[in-house]
Amino acid sequence: MALLQVLISGLSLSGYYAVLAIGFGMIFATLRIFHIAHAAVFGLAGYMFFLFHRMYQIDIWVSGALALVLAAVFGLLIDLGIYRPLLRRGGGTFSVFIASLGLTLVFESVALMLTKGTLSVARVGALAPVTIGPVSFRWFDVEVVVPVALLYAGLYIAVMRTRVGLEIRALADNAGLAGVVGINTDRTRTAIFLGASALAGLAGIFTAYDSGMVPTSGMDLLFITIVAVIFGGSRYLFMGALGGSIIMGLVTALAGFLFPQWVTIIVFSLLIVLLIVRPNGLFG
Amino acid sequence: MDYFYFIITVICIWVMMSLAANLVLGYSGQFTCGHVGYLAIGAYTTGILNIFTGMNFFLTLPLAVAITALTAFLTLIPLLRLGPLHFGIATLGLNVVIVDLIHNLAPRVQGAEGLFGLTMPAVMMSGPGRCAIVVVLTALCVWFSRILVSSPFGRTLRALRDRPEALVSLGKDVDYYRILVWTISGALAGLAGGLYTATLSYIDPTVFVVLFSFNLLVYIGVGGLASILGSVLGATLLIAFGEALRFGGLPSDISGPVQQALFGLLLVVIMMFRRQGLVGQYEFRE
Repeated sequence: MALLQVLISGLSLSGYYAVLAIGFGMIFATLRIFHIAHAAVFGLAGYMFFLFHRMYQIDIWVSGALALVLAAVFGLLIDLGIYRPLLRRGGGTFSVFIASLGLTLVFESVALMLTKGTLSVARVGALAPVTIGPVSFRWFDVEVVVPVALLYAGLYIAVMRTRVGLEIRALADNAGLAGVVGINTDRTRTAIFLGASALAGLAGIFTAYDSGMVPTSGMDLLFITIVAVIFGGSRYLFMGALGGSIIMGLVTALAGFLFPQWVTIIVFSLLIVLLIVRPNGLFG
Repeated sequence: MDYFYFIITVICIWVMMSLAANLVLGYSGQFTCGHVGYLAIGAYTTGILNIFTGMNFFLTLPLAVAITALTAFLTLIPLLRLGPLHFGIATLGLNVVIVDLIHNLAPRVQGAEGLFGLTMPAVMMSGPGRCAIVVVLTALCVWFSRILVSSPFGRTLRALRDRPEALVSLGKDVDYYRILVWTISGALAGLAGGLYTATLSYIDPTVFVVLFSFNLLVYIGVGGLASILGSVLGATLLIAFGEALRFGGLPSDISGPVQQALFGLLLVVIMMFRRQGLVGQYEFRE
């Protein structure tokens, strides 16, 4: 029965990974930007939600919406303020990666300075446990999965049926050609960063509400997510990110249950092995 | 005054690491983001051999060099076919894996998370003596690196970085040179690691986390890629600056994060405005 419990917490974890993965994956697939600072966007939203809801006692929906908007704007500012100028000045993917890493380090250090590294949990009181037969879990674990599923469906429709979605897919296929045929790539880029960052914000808010934030939460989660994205590959963005996230959710939950000391090693070994063996995903 | 010697020693060790990282990153264009993993291997080799088998410290150093070079050699082979970005991420992952493996598997001194209690000759036990030895060894490494990069081998490395296809057309084996310079770099990191154990007197896995690999990138990024002088300058200036921050009256729980935030900011600024660093001969083009 313990296994069933692991399965449930694994699926709940998958939800977090999937929300981060689709944003990260979309940015990487369309713009070839290895957006480590996605972790900073995630962290900012989580901390802002904590600040509004727990410290200033603002209504949960209002603080959630505020945190989400801030995350989206922060993500866009990173692109406008750092990535675009850097690429204009002749930098390449590796320089962008390093700059992104640097920004994340700045974020983590500032968060460490302000919070002294304590856990910031945005909710008050415990999450209600549910017991069905021998299996007990938290209702919240299930609740996470529902909005994630709805979100995926909505996003899928947006990318497959709208004009911006078409442009995003064009960018993912061939960015240079997309510009040549008259797509305003700057505008599409803005849309991608706004959307992806809002999603990272959502994951951050969930995390702050559920288990709480520490300065390194974002990076810890993001690297698992990156493995999920590489698992999925960029060819089938949605199914790939979702499938990869489910795999990683189950892997981390199971590993965390059986041999918690080895989770990090497993995640990063998977990362290295995948990069070597299947850099374009299992189905790529 | 002992503290002063300690700082000089630490700076020298990071100069060695900068040389090691610059040889592969600046000269031959292999984008390492995890060189501190190799530092850890060297440090633990010396620590384990000295503490648990009682081997003479000066004998453990060449062994640390050899084992780290071997590790570097073995870990590079599977990564050879990766592009620059994937190579960087894979080496970053390698650092994390090495540190966690050490955390889970390496022997510890009873009652501690890591290793301490090296038995060393008297000259290594005293601050000034150790400092003198490390300074001399660092000078030798600088001298060796200078010779290396100004030799025909160094020219081949720069060609490897800028025009690998030209090297192939001259009938040279690109992978051979990549592996060779990476192994040399690993050997340097191993020497630095052995000396680091002696200097810190206590090491545990947190000393080698991937964050320090990023800091190493800051050192050589600020100093300058493909420049021996840059490797020396970057580590010296930044570590001295960090210490100055601590003496500037900031409490240590603030000065640590402030320094880290500034290092992160430096990474962003270098990438945006000056990818060749202070005196670099090459800039991040990827």
